[in-house]
Amino acid sequence: MTASLPENSHKYDLGFARWVYKNINGADKLSMCMQCGTCSGSCPIGSDMDNGPRKLFMMIRAGMKEEVFNSDTLWNCTSCYRCTVRCPRGIPVTYIVQGLAAKATHLGYATEQDAARFAKSFWWSLTHFGRTDERLVTAKYYFSFGLVKGIKKSLENLKIAFGMVMKGRMHLGPPHKVSANKDLRAILAKAQEIEAREQQGGAES
Amino acid sequence: MNQGPASQTILVVGGGIAGITAAVEAAETGYDVILLEQSPALGGRVSAFNRYFPKLCHPTCGLEINYQRIRKNPRIKVMTMARVVSLSGQAGNYSVAVKTMPRYVNEKCTACGDCAKATDVEVANDFNFGMDKVNAAYLPHEHAFPPRYVIAPEVIGTDAAEKIREACKYGAIDLDDCEATVDLKVGAVIWATGWKPYDASKITNYSYNLSADIINNLEMERLAAHNGPTGGKILRPSNGEPVKRVALIQCAGSRDTNHLPYCSRICCLGSMKHAVYVREQYADATVDIYYIDIRAHDKLEAFYQRVATDPQINFIKSKPGHIQVEDDGTPVICGEDTLSREIYARSYDLVVLALGMEPNALSDTSASSRDDYGFIVPMPGNDAGISSAGVAGGPLDVSMSVQSATAAALSAIQAVRTAASLPAQGGSVNE
Ligand SMILES: Cc1cc2nc3c(=O)[nH]c(=O)nc-3n(C[C@H](O)[C@H](O)[C@H](O)COP(=O)(O)OP(=O)(O)OC[C@H]3O[C@@H](n4cnc5c(N)ncnc54)[C@H](O)[C@@H]3O)c2cc1C
Ligand code: SF4
Ligand code: SF4
Repeated sequence: MTASLPENSHKYDLGFARWVYKNINGADKLSMCMQCGTCSGSCPIGSDMDNGPRKLFMMIRAGMKEEVFNSDTLWNCTSCYRCTVRCPRGIPVTYIVQGLAAKATHLGYATEQDAARFAKSFWWSLTHFGRTDERLVTAKYYFSFGLVKGIKKSLENLKIAFGMVMKGRMHLGPPHKVSANKDLRAILAKAQEIEAREQQGGAES
Repeated sequence: MNQGPASQTILVVGGGIAGITAAVEAAETGYDVILLEQSPALGGRVSAFNRYFPKLCHPTCGLEINYQRIRKNPRIKVMTMARVVSLSGQAGNYSVAVKTMPRYVNEKCTACGDCAKATDVEVANDFNFGMDKVNAAYLPHEHAFPPRYVIAPEVIGTDAAEKIREACKYGAIDLDDCEATVDLKVGAVIWATGWKPYDASKITNYSYNLSADIINNLEMERLAAHNGPTGGKILRPSNGEPVKRVALIQCAGSRDTNHLPYCSRICCLGSMKHAVYVREQYADATVDIYYIDIRAHDKLEAFYQRVATDPQINFIKSKPGHIQVEDDGTPVICGEDTLSREIYARSYDLVVLALGMEPNALSDTSASSRDDYGFIVPMPGNDAGISSAGVAGGPLDVSMSVQSATAAALSAIQAVRTAASLPAQGGSVNE
């Protein structure tokens, strides 16, 4: 009896896994993952992620580069670190997920997901004022969907915004800034310079 | 160093199945053996099981025959309630200091039980992990060997102790019994000190201390045993009701760099045994086994195959993230099913944590080498007179423990014979 080999529906690309092991902070430990599910099962928003860390890590091994970088798991992570604390193999799950998110941005992925848009708005406020300004972060996020959608979303949430103002959770007037805003920008510029240098060293294969 | 005539006596520390086997094997080969046990009776963990695989026989099956071999063999001296305090020397010539604790009952005891009828005072029952109480004058359990009563130290100096003493018509109660130190001269030492379950309270995300209905696998053995706290009925500890939905969580504290990094090897099979206990008692109960991967080693694969045919025993490939406890104490297991990617939160009547086996600590010795996990393993260049048997040397089941005990008996015999044949030891060649 000669059993025929099953047709491979997916072509495995170990090159991608090796690239991740090398280029993402903490991912050198990824080969230790035993697919136990503790990370995804511990995640407070695990059911809101398309893949969750465990499956994401399997997808990396399977060479599913496009699916990995477009996964909303990268952006829905709240950095609670439960997965990292509980992982029985000592894998820094949070670092890896966040490292992948950063790489996705640099490589031009992650333009469409809500969470990615929000993260970018958040970052914009941080780099400009050294703080998050609720109004500006929200506005930036809403209008990233385009003018019409932006106005619509703003109107929808006006009541909440008003409530927040009344409770003193959102202020009116010019945005708060850190006093050493100039220094902060210099620090961030330097950090970006270092990051760009390292990017060149470990350019994608 | 310490010279003098070589001793051919073999000391076995720990009277579980491994220590008993090593002692019997060495004695039946013609060597004198001292068998030390820290608790009041022999048998170790096996005596506290309901039944044991592969054949699901009662613990008495394997133990009773060995007790008979001990009884019949004058070469074996059993010392209970005894621990090694210090050990020095080398193969053929060890000096061992042993501390014994008072039992308050001497060898005249016939186990008639009159002492227990003399008082109502009760103490926590160690044999059932404190899940019930036992009379202050007690037999450790019905198959205890030696079959001799013990008086709980808590009642010494009270009226109850006096009543207990007066009730014994054989003069077996000795209330003046006290701690003592005995010095032994032996030629070889076998550590058969066994294991303890990993401390469940360290796995904080599994909430062991937060709900009465989250128990460990040893407590499950007692719940199912006819001489356990519920007379053998598996009931919810919180309210004494029958169980309908039971969950067993594998690798609780094993294969985990935060806890025990190694696989304890036995707990997968232990849990399948527990699933069988539940299903034998309840036609309508379901049992969910949460696992990383099922490790049923060698021929025990057949047991797994058999259990897996029961449609009411479900194998769920998932290491749960945590157990939430509802206000009424109900445990809710939360995690990800790794085959379907379902994120689940399921409530159960009873959750059993399959704790791993951790080697018993031996604060009382320095003369043995341990591996990274604390198991006693002979290393190259070690003293040939020291060996280990059973789970003291690694996570093993009963049959593997027994094999390792026979091996340890042989290396102990080799060590004492070699030592006796060395002229420097001053002993005579014994061929
Ligand atoms: C939940 C569970 C279920 C299991 N079920 C099965 C089963 O069904 N079948 C099977 O084959 N195996 C089973 N096992 C494994 C089994 O328990 C072990 O193989 C067995 O207990 C090994 O015996 P041992 O003599 O090495 O150790 P132990 O049984 O631990 O005996 C060690 C003895 O040494 C004594 N001792 C310890 N330290 C000292 C000291 N310092 N001085 C003097 N005495 C000391 C202890 O009091 C004890 O009596 C199970 C394990 C678990 C966790
Ligand atoms: S918890 Fe750790 S070992 Fe388990 S699936 Fe997640 S990353 Fe892998
Ligand atoms: S025997 Fe099973 S439950 Fe025990 S540690 Fe190994 S895999 Fe986990």
